[in-house]
Amino acid sequence: MTTNNDALIQVQHLGKSFDRLDVLKDITVDIHKGDVVCVIGPSGSGKSTFLRCLNRLEEPSSGKIFFEGVDITDPKTDIDRHRQKMGMVFQQFNLFPHMTIMRNLTIAPMKLQGRSQREAEEEARKLLDRVGLGDRANSYPSQLSGGQKQRIAIVRALCMRPEVMLFDEPTSALDPEMVGEVLNVMRDLARERMTMVVVTHEMGFAREVATRVMFMDGGYFLEENAPAKFFANPRNERLKNFLSKVL
Amino acid sequence: MSEKFRADFYQNFIEDDRWKYIVNGLGNTIKITLFAVLLGIALGFLVAIIRSTFEKTGKLKLLNLLCRVYLTVIRGTPVLIQLLLIYFVVFGSVRIDKSLVAILAFGINSGAYVAEIFRSGIMSIDNGQLEAGRSLGFNYSQTMIYIIMPQAFKNVLPALGNEFIVLLKETSVAGYIAIQDLTKGADIIRSRTYSAFMPLMAAAVIYLVMVMIFTYFVQRLERRLRSSDH
Ligand SMILES: Nc1ncnc2c1ncn2[C@@H]1O[C@H](COP(=O)(O)OP(=O)(O)OP(=O)(O)O)[C@@H](O)[C@H]1O
Ligand SMILES: [Mg+2]
Repeated sequence: MTTNNDALIQVQHLGKSFDRLDVLKDITVDIHKGDVVCVIGPSGSGKSTFLRCLNRLEEPSSGKIFFEGVDITDPKTDIDRHRQKMGMVFQQFNLFPHMTIMRNLTIAPMKLQGRSQREAEEEARKLLDRVGLGDRANSYPSQLSGGQKQRIAIVRALCMRPEVMLFDEPTSALDPEMVGEVLNVMRDLARERMTMVVVTHEMGFAREVATRVMFMDGGYFLEENAPAKFFANPRNERLKNFLSKVL
Repeated sequence: MSEKFRADFYQNFIEDDRWKYIVNGLGNTIKITLFAVLLGIALGFLVAIIRSTFEKTGKLKLLNLLCRVYLTVIRGTPVLIQLLLIYFVVFGSVRIDKSLVAILAFGINSGAYVAEIFRSGIMSIDNGQLEAGRSLGFNYSQTMIYIIMPQAFKNVLPALGNEFIVLLKETSVAGYIAIQDLTKGADIIRSRTYSAFMPLMAAAVIYLVMVMIFTYFVQRLERRLRSSDH
C-alpha cells in the first residue's frame, strides 16, 4: 500500500503496548525531507519506543508507518531493505567490538549494497576525515573514547547513505566533555539538510538545531512547535512543568 | 630395578608386537574423537541457533521444544548407557561399523553440551549488537553470522576446549561395544601379560599428552583472538 502524501515518514495512529502497558497511545505525525525533529519528554514517556517503531526495531501494536510512501508496518514489506535507508544511532554506540573501525564502516555497504571494498573504504575515509577521526581507521572500538565511538557510530550509519537518521539520546552515555564533539557532528549533518529524528535531553541543541521540537508524555505528543516558540511560549501545562525542571 | 623395568617393558610392548595394541587403539581413539567432535559441533551449533532464535524472537517454537527434549535426555543420562542403547537397540539388528556407532553416540552426546555452550555464548552478547546489525539492514541470519557468532565463539572458546577434552577421555568407554580404542588396547595387553602398571600407565600418559597438546593450541588460538580487540 502506498500514499500520495509527500512526507518522508508518515506515522498514522501509531500505538504500542508491552503486555498490558500502553506506552504509545495514538501518535500521528509527518516527517518531511530536511526536517530536524527533536523529541523531548520525561523518562519513560515512550520516546525511545516511538523512535524504535520507526524502523520496526519495536513492532507497532496498531497504526501504520509509511516510509517513502511504502507501508513498512505491512508484514509483507521487506523491512531490511528499508532499514538500509534509515540510519540509527544508539545511546550505547553498539559498535562491533571484534572489527576494526574500517570494517565497522564498510561491512554493511559491502554486504548489503554490493559496493566494492575500494569504493566502500574510500567513502568511509572521507566521512572519517570529516568527523576528525581519519587516523583511527585501523583501531578497534575498545581503543576509542566514548565521544569517538559515537562519532564512528554516526559515520557507520552514514556509510549506508540513509534518507533519514534516527538518534536515541546519542550523548546521554558520554562524559560531559565529550558531548560537544558529537553534537557538532550532528549539527553539521543538520546543516547539510539531512533528515533527522533526535530523542535528546540536550535542550540547547534542540533550540539551536531543530526545525521542530515535539514534547512527548503519557504516550502522546502533547505539543509541537518551532524551537523558538516551543521554548518561549509553551502552552501545555505538563510541558511548562517539564521545561521548568530541565532548563 | 632398571633390569626389571626393562624386562617389563619388553614383555608388555615388544614381545608379540604388543605395542600395536596401543598404536592401533590410539588411532581408533583419535578417529572417534575427531569425528564425534565434528558431529557435536554441527549438532550443537544447530540446536544453539534454534534455541537462541526462539529466545530472541519467539519463532521456531516446535523445533525449540524438540531441542529441549534432546538436551534433557542426553544430559540426564550416562554416556555409556547412550552408547549401549545405540549399539544394541538402535542398530541392534543391522550390521554396522562399530566405530561409526561410537562416533554417532559420542557426537550426539557432545552436541548437547556444545549446544548449551554456544547458546550461552550467543545470549551473552549484548542485545545492542543485534539491534545495531538489524538497523543497518542485515537480516537475522546475516546479523548472527557477521556480528553475533564471531563474538560468541571467542567468548566460549575455553568452555568449548574443555568439552573436547572431556569427550576425548569419555571415548575410553568405547571398549564396552568391543571397540579396540586406546584404553581397551592397554587392557588387552594387561590381560595377556598379567602386569597392569605398564600398559595402563602408557595409556594414561598418552591421554595426558594429547590433552596437553590440545590445551596448548586452544590457548594459543584464544590469545590470538583476544589480541585483536579488548
Ligand atoms: N521491551 C520492553 N518491554 C516492556 N516494557 C518496555 C520495553 N521497552 C520499554 N518499556 C517500557 O515502556 C515505557 C517507555 O519506555 P521508553 O524507553 O520508550 O521511554 P523513554 O521516553 O525513552 O525514556 P528514557 O528517557 O528513560 O529513555 C517505560 O515504562 C518502559 O519501562
Ligand atoms: Mg529512551
